[in-house]
Amino acid sequence: MISNDPMHSTLSRHETIRQAPAGRNYSYYTLSNAHDSRVVISDLGANLISWFARDRYGRVQDILLGYPDVTGYETNPVYFGGLIGRWANRIEAARFSLDGVEYRVDSNEGRNHLHGGDAGFHLALWDAERDGDGLLMKYVSHEGDGGFPGTVRVAVRYCLDDQDALTIDFSATSDAPTPINLTSHPYFNLNGGTADIYDHILSIEADSYLTIDASAIPTGRAEVSGSAFDFRQPAPIGPRLAWPDPQLKLGHGFDHCYCLPPLLNEAEPREVATVFDPGSGRQLTVATTAPGLQFYSGNFLDGVQGRKPDPYRKHDGFCLEAQAFPNQINGPDKEAVILRPGQVFRQITRYALSLWP
Amino acid sequence: MSETQSSYRVALLFNANKIYDREIITGIGDYLRSTRTGWDLFLEEDYRCRLNGIERWQGHGIIADFDDPEVSAALARSQLPVVAVGGSYADESDYPDKVPYVATDNFKLVKLALDHLIESGLQRFACFSLPAAPTNRWAQEREKAFEFRMRQEGLECHIYRGEKTYAPSWETTVRQQMEWLQSLPKPIGIVAVTDARALQLLQACLSADIAVPEQVALIGIDNDPLARTLTRIPLSSVAQGTHEMGMTAAHLMHRMLHGVQLDPTRIVIPPAGINVMASSRHEPANHPYVMKARHFIRLHACHGIRTEQVADYVGVSRSSLEMYFRRSRGHSVHDEILHFKLAAAQQLLRDENLSIAEIAIRCGFSSMQYMHAVFKRELGCTPRGYQEQLALSSDEPAHPLNETGQ
Repeated sequence: MISNDPMHSTLSRHETIRQAPAGRNYSYYTLSNAHDSRVVISDLGANLISWFARDRYGRVQDILLGYPDVTGYETNPVYFGGLIGRWANRIEAARFSLDGVEYRVDSNEGRNHLHGGDAGFHLALWDAERDGDGLLMKYVSHEGDGGFPGTVRVAVRYCLDDQDALTIDFSATSDAPTPINLTSHPYFNLNGGTADIYDHILSIEADSYLTIDASAIPTGRAEVSGSAFDFRQPAPIGPRLAWPDPQLKLGHGFDHCYCLPPLLNEAEPREVATVFDPGSGRQLTVATTAPGLQFYSGNFLDGVQGRKPDPYRKHDGFCLEAQAFPNQINGPDKEAVILRPGQVFRQITRYALSLWP
Repeated sequence: MSETQSSYRVALLFNANKIYDREIITGIGDYLRSTRTGWDLFLEEDYRCRLNGIERWQGHGIIADFDDPEVSAALARSQLPVVAVGGSYADESDYPDKVPYVATDNFKLVKLALDHLIESGLQRFACFSLPAAPTNRWAQEREKAFEFRMRQEGLECHIYRGEKTYAPSWETTVRQQMEWLQSLPKPIGIVAVTDARALQLLQACLSADIAVPEQVALIGIDNDPLARTLTRIPLSSVAQGTHEMGMTAAHLMHRMLHGVQLDPTRIVIPPAGINVMASSRHEPANHPYVMKARHFIRLHACHGIRTEQVADYVGVSRSSLEMYFRRSRGHSVHDEILHFKLAAAQQLLRDENLSIAEIAIRCGFSSMQYMHAVFKRELGCTPRGYQEQLALSSDEPAHPLNETGQ
């Protein structure tokens, strides 16, 4: 339900409500459930601001990383909690061709395009409305925004159920062909920020991943077996970061897309990853209908000011972003990431929390 | 990098009788299976037999348990690639030189056990160790981790090494353990350096008629399945990251066999988990200071009180009160006061026909704007919006106004 229930949790004391440039207040919406979990979402960027959840000792902590106040989300340089579009991840040289026409999009990471560029969905003001037990957010991305063709109408529905599963249901239509790749970009730290994520134990259902070059553009597909990238059996993140591996050097840690097993039912997300934190007992399970899962180990968090007095440090949080493949619009399988008029883009990703006793 | 034509011969110098070593070997095996790597593995029933002349062995590499100083001494002369596996050390200089080392994190093993006991509401702690021997330096490392934490928390440090238990002196040893247990203040949480050690202490508790977990909450290390079945009170335990240690050691060896020069890599593996069973399920009770403080806050939250006044009432410093709150409530005293104020405001919005400004004053908010901001942040709506939502859902039963944060 969208909540107005009594308080149970740590208050982050530094947040302020600010007048938006357009003369309208940003609003926070809180989804809560019978489990005392609360997910806070802002209409600025459809961002996931906070997820307050209990640990095995009953303490409620925020398991998401975020800025001290809403102004941080106006620029959001590390994409905390962002709803990412029109193109999540990278496009090499910020260009692609579509139906014979060459397009140039914002190049905002060196020569490459990243996460929608300056017109990124995570910076936009979304319309929000209650939708049954969920929160429905809508945004219109106009033709030419960020350099992309076609006007895209995107809707995202957030819903938190009583099993502590947050379902994010994306859909989009366009009036002209356009590349599309949407994801949600929450940074998790399951111990609530009392330590880094080194001791988190990760598993990912994937036999292969995409190797990258120094600018994080995919260079090919590699088997995970025998490498630091093999999380088919659960393994702690910290020690894997210490394995000698040239790919880890290139990415400054993990910043790689896993190739997920085939989807059997388009409307039914399959479980693809779990992360377990022994200290708090919290476990996160990720399910998605997307073909790829970007695992990012928070390699560039050093110095970013969060909600505690000390700024974040490298590897203080991790992301598991369900999406299409980076730069896929310039690859042989580009047709799969093109949204054409009359088609509906759809993707469902679910982050579910559970507790080990 | 094909290895099919001639397999590498790799010796595993481990004590395959111990669950810790066995799980590491399982990790090595899983790595080889996952990479379809075929090594010929040499695993002795008594690995010590092999030490003599190991430097002349016609193999390709050795993965060894370096907790045994004889092993590390014997391998210092080896020309073959060696990967060491063992305990972590607080002091850098205790690690062997020039050999890739995969360690179990003794510090974090003890930390996880202690965090669990602390979160269970205990305030006194002890460590049950082993008589020092060259082969169990890890036990002393775990003592160090325990000592460090006690110092950090400003708590008294009880460490007991006792005697080794073996048949002829069994009764004396158990009697000594019982005497130690009786001498300790209660209730107390005890970390034993292994499950085997914890089992002995559990037995001593039962013999001395000491209630577990009410008087003594006990947790071991190893997560040995035997320890859960051998006793009337199943034993809590911290699991070491043994499987990943094996995977990592095998990977490093794999790289070295392919000629990759590894820097003196050291990879320290954190615990794999904690298995909470009956032996440590101590029922938490709020610390008396926290109970006293909450009593005061409950009465005076809406009078604009501050943390200092609460600390004065309880009679402790502000910083120690904050520490007790963080530990048992997971947030600050200020947050606790704010929770009560917010709950009171919600109550008034629900039940009373008052203006928002009046409610802000009555609930001790410094301004209407501040109450507005707190509502937006915490409930995602304005006070007015909250009231409207209530009106909309008035056919549903209203939330009972509980004391906050239960």
